[in-house]
Amino acid sequence: MISSNTFHVVTTELVVGSFSLAGVAFLFCLLSPRLPLFFSEKQTASDSVAHAALLFGLAATPFAILSGLSSAPGGEMSSALLANKMLFSLSGAGLALGVLVSRWRNGIEVWATARSSLIQGLSGAGATGLMLLTASAGGTFTRGESLLDWLHLPYNEVLLMPTFLSIGLLLLGIACTAVAFRPSS
Amino acid sequence: MFARQFKVLLLLLVLIASTTFGSAEPGGNGDGMRDMQCGGACHGDAGQNASSSLTLSIQYPQQVWVGQPTEITVEVSGVDVSHDEDLVGIFLLSSTNANADTPLTDGWEILSDGRGGTGNYVERSTDGTGTSIVHTWVVRAESVGVRNLYASVHHGDATGSSQGRPFFGVSTAFPVEVEPLPENAPRLAQEFTVEVTRDVGDDIELELTTEFTDAVVIEWRTEDGATMQIDVNESEEDQWKFTLPASLKPSTVEWRAILSGEGPEQTTPWFAMVAQVPAENTDSAPIYLQGIAMALLLFGAVVALQKPRAPVDDKVKIYDNTEHVAASISGGHSAPDEGQERPEVAPIPEGGLPEGWTDEQWAWYGYEYLAGTYGGGQA
Repeated sequence: MISSNTFHVVTTELVVGSFSLAGVAFLFCLLSPRLPLFFSEKQTASDSVAHAALLFGLAATPFAILSGLSSAPGGEMSSALLANKMLFSLSGAGLALGVLVSRWRNGIEVWATARSSLIQGLSGAGATGLMLLTASAGGTFTRGESLLDWLHLPYNEVLLMPTFLSIGLLLLGIACTAVAFRPSS
Repeated sequence: MFARQFKVLLLLLVLIASTTFGSAEPGGNGDGMRDMQCGGACHGDAGQNASSSLTLSIQYPQQVWVGQPTEITVEVSGVDVSHDEDLVGIFLLSSTNANADTPLTDGWEILSDGRGGTGNYVERSTDGTGTSIVHTWVVRAESVGVRNLYASVHHGDATGSSQGRPFFGVSTAFPVEVEPLPENAPRLAQEFTVEVTRDVGDDIELELTTEFTDAVVIEWRTEDGATMQIDVNESEEDQWKFTLPASLKPSTVEWRAILSGEGPEQTTPWFAMVAQVPAENTDSAPIYLQGIAMALLLFGAVVALQKPRAPVDDKVKIYDNTEHVAASISGGHSAPDEGQERPEVAPIPEGGLPEGWTDEQWAWYGYEYLAGTYGGGQA
């Protein structure tokens, strides 16, 4: 059996690699209408790459989170940095799932209008950004350095909301989801 | 065609050429139990390591007793001479196999790495150390015999032409002869284990179990401090208790025991006790709650914003006027009744297919023929 530390490294590499590919493809999809014809013709292919990579990364995310929890020295939330990792990764996973469900419901039409194209592209790129932040926090935790050190992000400070505010956000999320899946009249 | 392939190839070559082939990790990997090449993880690619110019040596007591703690000291010389190492990773190894080469695989137990851990790998800063670094492990041999120990280093170069390059060095073998302890010599019990960490602000009571021992003296010292003695109480036969005073800040104190009895007096190695800031004892439930709430909110927001404006069926109902068109074309004769699905292929006229028509043509253009809009049809 491999240790949870090693398994965490494997799964995070899968997540980061897949999300990075998805992020690049989402940006391409977003920008392709403004690019020369040669590039704009490739939007369909880029759309497939973006969502397939996002799906694969999302599938690996739970394994990365669970192995990360079991391999954290000193307990699951023994430092602010680990708490930030949890918040970033869950937010990224939620955003990625929303992007995939939207693509599934709308099909390729998701890129048909400027509004939906902007929402889809920015949400996909945002999910990638959140996962890269998670990976960067992990690199800072284990190696003391990471790709995003130049941003000087305050990983050791957690923006932890009061419980009532979290419950409010949760209810708001449930309401949004209910509205999203309510049949149109 | 070839021009496009050439451009792609050129782009790939530029990307490859812009990467470094191997790199030291300036932040290190942290102390721990590691094989000589860290499974390839300490440096980006072990195959790209350059040879370190550091000199490595191992010192150990003249007599190493089986089952008793022993100090093994690694000295790294030549620091900051040829390179600006900044951080040096030091290994204590039992072989140079680069796999299963920690002391544990050769009958050693690591009781302390001197920094609050029990691994064979420590990372030491070279700032303010002069030209050498000395690091000590406390180990215990499980059986009698000669065992080889090796020291190894990983480091980078913080400045100069070699900046970022990974360097690797390994010592020659240092044979350590593990001997049986003289009969009746006072000793620590075989099951003795040592505490290596405690929280800042806490004093700590330690208990020693000994054999063939009549008296115990405990000495302790702080970093760069004088050596002092602590009162020791014998709680029962061969059970000794003493208390190390609290540390007010993260720091290391060392202690050792001097055991006397009928046999020759024994002095244990210095055991390091590291005072650490206690880990934050946080309730993780609010963090999970906030994480799940944010995930659900982002999910719901994206799906709601991207909600299809109208179901696809409604759009078809609004814009699909095929039935009306077909009815108007055929003048109401051949159009099927409302609600009745029109056959895919138009019904063949009583006299058979028009002259010169094939079945395939009829399948495609039969309705147009009947409507008189194609091929000189009936209308």
